[in-house]
Amino acid sequence: MDFFERFAVPHPSFLIYGAMVSIGLTMIAIVVGITYFKKWGYLWREWITTVDHKRIGIMYLLTALLMLFRGGVDAIMLRYQLSMPDNKFLESQHYNEIFSTHGVVMILFMAMPFITFFFNYLIPLQIGARDVAFPRLNALSFWLFFMGMGLFNISFIIGGSPDAGWTSYFPLAGNEFSTSVGTNYYMIAIQIAGIGTLITGINFITTILKMRAPGMTLMKMPMFTWSAFIANVIVVFAFPVLTVTLAMGTMDRLFGTNFFTTVNGGMDMLWANLFWVWGHPEVYILILPAFGLYSEIISTFARRNLYGYKSMVASMVAISLLSFLVWAHHFFTMGQGALTNSFFSITTMIIAVPTGVKIFNWLFTLWKGKIEFTTPMLYSMLFIPLFTLGGVTGVMLAMSAADYQYHNTMFLVAHFHNVIIPGVVFAMLAGLTYYWPKMFGFMLNEKLGKWTAWLLSVGFVLAFIPMYITGLDGQARRMYTYSESTGFGMWNMVSFVGAAIMAIAFVLLVYNIYYSIRYSPRDIGSDPWDARSLEWATHTPVPEYNFAITPKAASTQAFWDAKKNGHELFPGKLEKIHMPNNSGWPFIMSCIFFAFGFGMVFSIWPLAIISLIGILGCLTYRSFEKDHGRYISVKEIEETEAKLRGAKK
Amino acid sequence: MKVNNSLPLEYSTEENSLKILGFWIFLGAEIMLFATLFTSYFTLVNRTGDGLTGAEVFEITPVLVETILLLTSSFTIGLGIHAMRLGNKKAMMTFFSITLLLGAGFLGFEVYEFVHYIHEGLTLQTSAFSAILLTTLGTHGLHVTVGFFWGLFILLQIKKRGLTPETANKSFIFSLYWHFLDVVWIFIFSFIYLKGMM
Amino acid sequence: MKELFPLNQVMGFVCSLILTAVALLVYFMDMSFSIGMTVLLLTAFIQAGLQLVVFMHAGETNDKKSIYANIYYGLIIALITIFGTLLAMIWDM
Repeated sequence: MDFFERFAVPHPSFLIYGAMVSIGLTMIAIVVGITYFKKWGYLWREWITTVDHKRIGIMYLLTALLMLFRGGVDAIMLRYQLSMPDNKFLESQHYNEIFSTHGVVMILFMAMPFITFFFNYLIPLQIGARDVAFPRLNALSFWLFFMGMGLFNISFIIGGSPDAGWTSYFPLAGNEFSTSVGTNYYMIAIQIAGIGTLITGINFITTILKMRAPGMTLMKMPMFTWSAFIANVIVVFAFPVLTVTLAMGTMDRLFGTNFFTTVNGGMDMLWANLFWVWGHPEVYILILPAFGLYSEIISTFARRNLYGYKSMVASMVAISLLSFLVWAHHFFTMGQGALTNSFFSITTMIIAVPTGVKIFNWLFTLWKGKIEFTTPMLYSMLFIPLFTLGGVTGVMLAMSAADYQYHNTMFLVAHFHNVIIPGVVFAMLAGLTYYWPKMFGFMLNEKLGKWTAWLLSVGFVLAFIPMYITGLDGQARRMYTYSESTGFGMWNMVSFVGAAIMAIAFVLLVYNIYYSIRYSPRDIGSDPWDARSLEWATHTPVPEYNFAITPKAASTQAFWDAKKNGHELFPGKLEKIHMPNNSGWPFIMSCIFFAFGFGMVFSIWPLAIISLIGILGCLTYRSFEKDHGRYISVKEIEETEAKLRGAKK
Repeated sequence: MKVNNSLPLEYSTEENSLKILGFWIFLGAEIMLFATLFTSYFTLVNRTGDGLTGAEVFEITPVLVETILLLTSSFTIGLGIHAMRLGNKKAMMTFFSITLLLGAGFLGFEVYEFVHYIHEGLTLQTSAFSAILLTTLGTHGLHVTVGFFWGLFILLQIKKRGLTPETANKSFIFSLYWHFLDVVWIFIFSFIYLKGMM
Repeated sequence: MKELFPLNQVMGFVCSLILTAVALLVYFMDMSFSIGMTVLLLTAFIQAGLQLVVFMHAGETNDKKSIYANIYYGLIIALITIFGTLLAMIWDM
């Protein structure tokens, strides 16, 4: 292909041109706006160079919400295309690009940053620490993720989106069948973002193991922190598999190697195998923090300690190990023998058990509790039946012989959305609503919140339950259209109506945020829900150093016990606090990574090589850097504390 | 910064012990990185297409030299850390320098090995086997190369700033990295070369 | 003088050399595949363990539980990945 040809979008359409224009205009508007309000200095000082876990968390959140919008628009387009037989809204190439990016965006650029937002904001607060173990690396994690996401997102305006599915199987993803640079974007952008995630994993494991407040043994940690700990353990052992797999895929496409080709000894099925060795643990990385959030919320609004703390921990430890033992269930039909399929069938069915234990523990927590139906609690109550339905269809799929019927039909699509949406998305929204007052000092509107939760649930049921039916009837996934004679038309139309209702729910969520910013009272104090764990024992807004005095945590509900039994949460006196300095290097190095990625995607070797040298240069500089942070004096702490205490009711 | 003088220098501050644990966790991730490469190697080892097999190109002599060089360098860096704990800056720097030289020697032989393979007709593009062989060896070699420069930078810092809790901490972490690379090499030596030449 | 002499390092080095020599036997001697593999597995894992414990001081601090758990976990998952892949892709295809 002529050098400049590869930059053009291979199959442009009105929608793509429209997107290009709107993105361009938005970027210009943002740049103009920041310049007009003279906020570049503020942005650089307070956000771009920050190493504060709370600020980094909020940047993850904003990115996740933006990507939720993008992935959602993808979804509506897909559903509209399928709502009628022989629809001409999207032709097949465009459809393929949209479902591919929908998957990558929702899983890797929406759900992952959303849970990383919760990790970042909550974990140090829940364990009584002042920051994470490695604040600089934390900033680097975010910016690498951001640049990977950015690189992926420009694909549809320069060069073309990936179109081989979010799983990008070979040989379809190879040079012979995917001739545009779309799949290069896939291989390289996800690689860059993945490095960020791996660093996050190392950071939070170290933080949780080493920085807990005195008195907080591992078995006294809040359940969200346990879930985050286990999820990060899975990250550390699963993401390197993805690193190698993407690297091998990149080499096949850029350097003519034969890892996954169909000639010269290549084994295309090895890609699917390695992808899912990572891919299955990945979905448990997503769901475990969601379970952790539900544990916090259900316990708070049933006004009871979480039932079965030990079994909750044990079940998550079991899930972490089992999650590495089930991967072949994603390709039961790929041609391996009955022995392999039987083994993985059994492990897949076993892994349902610990999750079942957790569901029962939540139900037992509710038993004889004083239940308060706030918005977060409503999401949690909707989660339990909906997720259980998704879980049991998972056991259906686990039976390898039966899976020959379900595999790659809409039944499968229904199953995984059935576990991810009530499981992960509801938890994200519940957690966001729950922790919103701690972060921003006002509550989101309850009425609007409940409407959102109900609309989302109704929309979800209408959108996805029909897919179980059409899947059993034979509708394949990843097919851009179907003929009228199949009879799939009615259920697909119902599905589209459901998707539209979900879209309305998300619009309502955005409106809720706007409405609450404008009208919510600001005098709610620092513990509006009367909650149980340490993150609520901070002021609102949380000061830079989190806790003026390191708390002493003597039970699993340290804050609750302090409130109800009057024990001293902050013994000791004020001392000067050591804090890390801000730094622009994580941002700068990540920008160079972006340039490197871009060079690799388009095989612009000089750019790639110079960027690589730049990255190595940043690392060299870091090695020699002498930066010992700074101290916040006792006087400064006293002033901040007095100011924040004044804001409390 | 509080320094605990009852512990070795590299652990003596809280930040130091955080960094050491964090690095061990990173090594856990590296175990999986190399495990994935080994997984792919064992899967693709016989898929040589029209190209050469391992048995046809592996030579025992350079492999043995590489092994001895790396193993000895692991020994010398151990001596270096031992000297560091005794506060002997000069001995430590000497052992570190020898370690890096041995590492450079290892890399030199590996480059020779790669040139030999290409000369024989086993290139990156030849077959699935050649791709995974050269990628696995190359990944390890790249790690050693990065280690060489990292070690050099630490050596320069010790020269300039002496043995402080920071430089001791960096040196110890570097030694963990270097030992780990030797552990990986043990598996490469056994299951790629020796098994291939059995 | 005794604590100045790096006894552990020297012993570790000598043992590693011996283990390497034993491993080399599979190249220089004629032996069946199973015996050869057993020799390689034993020498490799023992030497790796030696590096971990003696050279890398894995058991030295009060983080040792976390460090050992980390290594065991990584090892288990590595072995699962290797053998699971071989099962699915080669042996049971």
